Amino acid sequence: MTNRVQLMDEMNRLHHDILLMGTKVEENLRKALQALRAEDIELAAEIKADDEIVNALQLKIEDQVAILIATQAPVARDLRELVTVFKVTDNLERAGDHAVHLAKIVKKVAGEPAFRQASHLERMAEIGSEMVRGAVQSYLNRDAEEARRVAALDDGIDREHKALVQETLAFMKGHPDDVERASRLIKVSGFLERLGDHMTNVCEAVVFMVEGRHVELND
Amino acid sequence: MDPRPPKFDVRHLDLWYGQTQALKDVSFSIDPNTITALIGPSGCGKSTFLRVLDRMNDLIEGVRVEGSVLYDGEDIFGDRDVIELRKRVGMVFQKPNPFPMSIWDNIAYGPRVHGVKDKKALSDLVERSLVQAALFDEVKDRLHKPALGLSGGQQQRLCIARVLAVEPDVLLMDEPTSALDPISTAKIETLLDELKRRYTIVIVTHNMQQAGRVSDRTGFFLHGELVEYAPTRDIFFNPRDERTENYISGRFG
Repeated sequence: MTNRVQLMDEMNRLHHDILLMGTKVEENLRKALQALRAEDIELAAEIKADDEIVNALQLKIEDQVAILIATQAPVARDLRELVTVFKVTDNLERAGDHAVHLAKIVKKVAGEPAFRQASHLERMAEIGSEMVRGAVQSYLNRDAEEARRVAALDDGIDREHKALVQETLAFMKGHPDDVERASRLIKVSGFLERLGDHMTNVCEAVVFMVEGRHVELND
Repeated sequence: MDPRPPKFDVRHLDLWYGQTQALKDVSFSIDPNTITALIGPSGCGKSTFLRVLDRMNDLIEGVRVEGSVLYDGEDIFGDRDVIELRKRVGMVFQKPNPFPMSIWDNIAYGPRVHGVKDKKALSDLVERSLVQAALFDEVKDRLHKPALGLSGGQQQRLCIARVLAVEPDVLLMDEPTSALDPISTAKIETLLDELKRRYTIVIVTHNMQQAGRVSDRTGFFLHGELVEYAPTRDIFFNPRDERTENYISGRFG
């Protein structure tokens, strides 16, 4: 049936790079989580370097898409898939930045007393990882149902974020000396909350790509 | 939605060449002052359909038509003057086909046949038609030179001017730029956009990007059927029918 062999080959290569980019972001998020648990400052530094790979992949992928649009004149589903790539890479890159933010905080919150509230960050990062993996898979598999399922996970991140903020504020009242350190938790929690939003954006883009209509998955 | 009645209203149109059915139950309408692109693989019926609109198929032996095509509310197969219909519904063909005479005479030919004798009136018509076809500035100093000395792109615009000179209402174009280079093609496409203010245009094209660029609505024909007819942006970004998707994205093989 297909005689757009060249376009298909190029799109397969593109999918490979997107998978690589997604995997790298997910890996960084997991590393950041591990660094947070273990207060491992060296691991946190490694994440910053890995994020450069993510940024480079974004540029490579987007250049490739622009060239394909210029040379292959894709239309209909092919065009929607290529336009969607920009949303995927843009949001993945931002998610990668949030992994770096999480890693950076390790140094600043390490020490006594240990924050019980950090467990919320851990759960947010876990859900975030699952969202990154799921969002990229839903793109690669052109699976709108999977995209909807993944976007729904964002509620879990939002719940954890709210709980963390409430608990941290309560903690601050009883520990005025630790307010600055504790406030960093709230800041980074905000970043992870946004990571969930970025992956929701990817999921919405996937639904658009598959179904050709814009949807709002999380209000 | 255009509140005016459609320029063409096609209802359950079937057409046979002898035993072979070339159009199958085609129904759709074309709004005035729009450009409609007809696309589809060779032999799908799109050119046959185009020739229905000015009854050019009448000239082919063994053609049988059923259904109706209303032009401004009147059935074109009804009791009407076919010559008058063809004056109102002009056709531009794939290859430019100027007559072996001067530029001026090429344009004046149609109006003369239709009875315009006055030299001044003819001159005005020639100039107006050439201006409308975006050719006047390029040829104004050589109106009495042979039309065959023009470039391919100029010849095609001359053919458009020749059609405009008989003051039609509809322009039918059968792959009007397939023999032209990209610069001439761009000129004709720009011209089409101008012309649709005054005329209703139906264009058959094999160039998907051209259909995307110039038309308001696109119809996809396959095996004599009108598979999908929708605003052009829907056809090229989000077609409803799998067959349209496969065709426009080059997956028919």
